[in-house]
Amino acid sequence: MLQIQDLVKVYEDGTQALKGISFTVEDGEFVAIIGLSGSGKSTLLRCINRLIEPTSGRVIWDGVDITAADPRELRRIRRQIGMIFQQFNLVKRLPVLTNVLTGRLGYVSTWRSITGRWSRADVERAFANLELVGIREKAHNRADELSGGQQQRVGIARALMQEPRLLLADEPVASLDPATSHSVMKYVEQLNREMGVTVLCSLHFLSLARTYASRILALKDGLLVFDGSPQEIDDRRFKEIYGEEAVEVEIR
Amino acid sequence: MVHETPSAPSLRRHPALAALLGLLIPGLGHLYLGRRERGAAILTTALALTGLALWLELTALAPWGLPFWLWQAWEARRYAQGRDPGTLRLLLTAAILVYAIGWQVTEIDLQRFVANAPKIRPFVVSLLRPNYLEREITYASVRIQFTMPCGPEAPGPPPTSSGPGPVLGLDRACADPGDPITVYGEGFPPNLEGELWFENTIGDRARLHHQGELVDFVAGPDGRFQATVTAPEVATEQPQPQFIEARYVTEVGPLQPSETARLVVYRMGETIAQALMATTWGALFAVLISFFAARNLMRVHPLTFALYYVVRTLLNILRAIEPLIMAIVFVVWVGLGPFAGVLALTMHSIAALGKLYSEAIENIEPGPIEAITATGANRIQVIWFGVLPQVWPPFVAFTVYRWDINVRMSTIIGFVGGGGIGFLLQQWIRLTDFRSASAAIWAIALVVTVLDFFSSEVRKRIV
Amino acid sequence: MDGKRPRGPWAKTLMALAIAIPLYIWSWEATQIDLGKLVQDAYKAGPIVGQLLRPSLLARGVQRDRLQVTLKVPCAPGETYEPQGDLDRLQLSAHCLNPRDPLQVTGINLRPNTQGRLYWIITGVEGRLRDERFTTDENGAFTVETDVPPLLGENPGEHRLQAELRWEAGSLNPSPALRTTAEKLIETVFLALMATTLANFFAIPLSFLGARNIMPSTGWGHTVYLATRTFFNLTRSIEPLILATIFAIWVGFGPFAGVLALTVSTVANLGKLYSEAAESIDPGPIEAITATGANRIQVIWFAVIPQIVPPYIAFAVYQWDINVRMSTIIGFVGGGGIGMELSRWINQLQWNAAATAVWGIVLVVTVMDYASALIRERLV
Ligand SMILES: Nc1ncnc2c1ncn2[C@@H]1O[C@H](COP(=O)(O)OP(=O)(O)OP(=O)(O)O)[C@@H](O)[C@H]1O
Ligand SMILES: [Mg+2]
Repeated sequence: MLQIQDLVKVYEDGTQALKGISFTVEDGEFVAIIGLSGSGKSTLLRCINRLIEPTSGRVIWDGVDITAADPRELRRIRRQIGMIFQQFNLVKRLPVLTNVLTGRLGYVSTWRSITGRWSRADVERAFANLELVGIREKAHNRADELSGGQQQRVGIARALMQEPRLLLADEPVASLDPATSHSVMKYVEQLNREMGVTVLCSLHFLSLARTYASRILALKDGLLVFDGSPQEIDDRRFKEIYGEEAVEVEIR
Repeated sequence: MVHETPSAPSLRRHPALAALLGLLIPGLGHLYLGRRERGAAILTTALALTGLALWLELTALAPWGLPFWLWQAWEARRYAQGRDPGTLRLLLTAAILVYAIGWQVTEIDLQRFVANAPKIRPFVVSLLRPNYLEREITYASVRIQFTMPCGPEAPGPPPTSSGPGPVLGLDRACADPGDPITVYGEGFPPNLEGELWFENTIGDRARLHHQGELVDFVAGPDGRFQATVTAPEVATEQPQPQFIEARYVTEVGPLQPSETARLVVYRMGETIAQALMATTWGALFAVLISFFAARNLMRVHPLTFALYYVVRTLLNILRAIEPLIMAIVFVVWVGLGPFAGVLALTMHSIAALGKLYSEAIENIEPGPIEAITATGANRIQVIWFGVLPQVWPPFVAFTVYRWDINVRMSTIIGFVGGGGIGFLLQQWIRLTDFRSASAAIWAIALVVTVLDFFSSEVRKRIV
Repeated sequence: MDGKRPRGPWAKTLMALAIAIPLYIWSWEATQIDLGKLVQDAYKAGPIVGQLLRPSLLARGVQRDRLQVTLKVPCAPGETYEPQGDLDRLQLSAHCLNPRDPLQVTGINLRPNTQGRLYWIITGVEGRLRDERFTTDENGAFTVETDVPPLLGENPGEHRLQAELRWEAGSLNPSPALRTTAEKLIETVFLALMATTLANFFAIPLSFLGARNIMPSTGWGHTVYLATRTFFNLTRSIEPLILATIFAIWVGFGPFAGVLALTVSTVANLGKLYSEAAESIDPGPIEAITATGANRIQVIWFAVIPQIVPPYIAFAVYQWDINVRMSTIIGFVGGGGIGMELSRWINQLQWNAAATAVWGIVLVVTVMDYASALIRERLV
């Protein structure tokens, strides 16, 4: 269970990105976070694993206060939380396999990792995960030789290496075309359904959220303006979240 | 990292034999395994480095070549076993020998570096005290006459100087070179400090010494002092009147710009002017030449294309010769002075800018030219609206950048007599006048940093 | 355009001209530009340029034939003196003489049509004193009129007069200038290599201190950042040649002073380039690796290093190229490398030898330039 309590983030330049947000996510949920650009989606997700230090408020996961963890403890927590990014954030010059293996960094010693002595089990698991996302044959290619969709699948494989119980996804498909978007989202859905990973996924398009999410949170100007099931978002709600002029578009 | 082992084509070869061959002659093991390129590269490297060491008589360095020798043999064995040893370690072992040679050739001597550090202390201290300002100091002096060397006739009574004001006295009326002389003083301002000087018959002056030290005097609270000096050498053998002088500071003026500051400002101006002139001339000629060095313009005809190669080659040769070397030649030609420096910097600027300009011309996009031609514009209009807007921003950017470089260069062109601040700076360092050197160095740092900033701003605006 | 012409550009142009014209006039004066002299004195440059185009590459070995006879200076009146030496081929008008006495020297049965020179070997004085030059005729004979140098009178006793013939013989070999040039060029390249390598040990750590995104954004971190950048900029503004002059005081003349000077300037240059490269890395991978629970060292190893290695290598190779150029002149102030020989040859007006050095420099610099461009292209 993930509890967000009164989370506030004020950036150094004074921007109030989150203005006090509270909600609770049960294990196994697929939560989509929607909202306009600049509404605070990325900030919220990064505050959960403290890539961004929240200004105040608490993030409690299975009874552990992440916001109070010391650096060592924070790394222990982080390694159980997978994360995927809009820009994939792969280390472009390293081979795909190494990129996937970096998902194990929280589990192996510094010395073993930087000398490249990964355990046989880890390497096998990396191949298995690449298999799962369908790009095993690319294992020895450099990451920047892959297409966008393939890169995001490497990102998912990297997150899978962590054996995460929670997956944070920050607009995982915003840089991809609609068809590829669906294929990537299918893998995320698979994680959620088959492995029981809790998913928090920010999305630009409501249609994607409707298709994959079991619950939708909507942010507007750093405030939570909607929390409910996809069906509950009607035209009025939609206009509330996205503004009067917006029209819903379908992503197929 | 685990790689799937590639099925090795050389499995039937013997690993031990490969290693042995490698030990015998570097690279032979690889050649035996059919890895021709790598084997040849190893052999060439080994031969080249050995040849170099032999030629430079550095045979004592042989042990440093051992890692490379052993590793490449070991590597051959690994290849034969079907494993891939990677290239990094081979390069590193070769680097050991290369750097061992380099260490010897460049006479690196860390012990000397540490042991001689005190020599540079005065410089470092002076670096923090550039003498841009100094005080004008007024001196007063009291003189007393005596005779050197002593003549055959008996000397008179010990002399005293006559007032008004402070007076000096000596313990003897004549002295031979090397004699100790005691100097008395009275009526001086209390606690006054000063120096004792000697002035000979023809007016040459020098500080007085005693037992190898310069002699200063300090008056007591009663205005008296007593000091011993050694009579200096004199050129005459006949007794002649000589003088001892007590010199002291009467007035310390306010801080004012020093002679050094004046020179630095003047020469710095010369430096900047040199750079400006060289850049301007260089740019003018380079613009003309760049058209002949632009591949896309010159490809129209075999003859022009040949010209293109000639111009390019000349530019490359010219560019390889540092302006300082050219400056020496121009100093012989037009004499010492800033003009020689301007010429040297101009030549180098022509070469450097000519290359950059011509590359800018080569990078012109044909799109806009096509578009303007399509509007029915004539040739001049096409050049004015299609070509110039594309080439002037890089031209200006390169030129400003060149000016920046030329200022740096002209700070040193004076080292070979080419004018600018370099000449003074080198003189000051040689004469160990480190405070003046420091003044010049800080001035250079200031000017170069400002121009650096200025030129990067200009380039940012343009691009 | 609608009627009104914009005023701005004209005012600006006028302003620029108002600054530029006096600036140029002053610069012209300050730099003592004298085109007349340039043209008039072109004859001075002619021979130099001519010889610069004829570098000394090959030379034959030098053969020598030395003959000497003894003589007595000063000579008491009526004194008899029995000379020794190669009296059969080198004959003097007298063997017992006083300073400034005229002397006729005749040689016979020598190598025909060969240049030679007379030397005095004075007892008690080191080295030889040069005297007249001569050339033998087709019979191998020469005659020279000279007189006894006063220096012989100051060291009374038996002295020797030497005639030395020199001619080139044997097969063509690399000339001494070519050999020296090759040796010094190797030294030059190594000088640049050692300086670039040594500098990297300092420049790499410093570049992290000078990268805004790597330094913590605390006040302390910012101070270190600013201090590092200021150090880079100030040091960069001082040419390596100036530094070499200072290091020559420290460790004495020779390549080591050059290595040190280039090292210092390279630390500053590379430090600046490196920290800019480090500042422009993609923060995404750092974020991603941090999110996996990696520690700081792992983040640097997996997310920072792979991104900075290619630009760092490219800059290092580029700097090596620049350093080779620099080390061709660092010898002018005693920093070792080819510059030392070059300036010596120029000072002794040995233009052919100087030409060898200049062409050697052109070759090495061009090759380095090409090679470094090639390596950098591969890396990107
Ligand atoms: N590092 C930062 N410093 C200052 N302000 C920031 C920073 N990062 C984000 N912001 C501001 O915080 C607010 C929320 O940004 P955030 O990136 O969380 O929005 P978002 O919902 O993810 O938008 P998008 O859909 O465009 O990614 C915005 O106003 C943004 O400008
Ligand atoms: Mg975002």
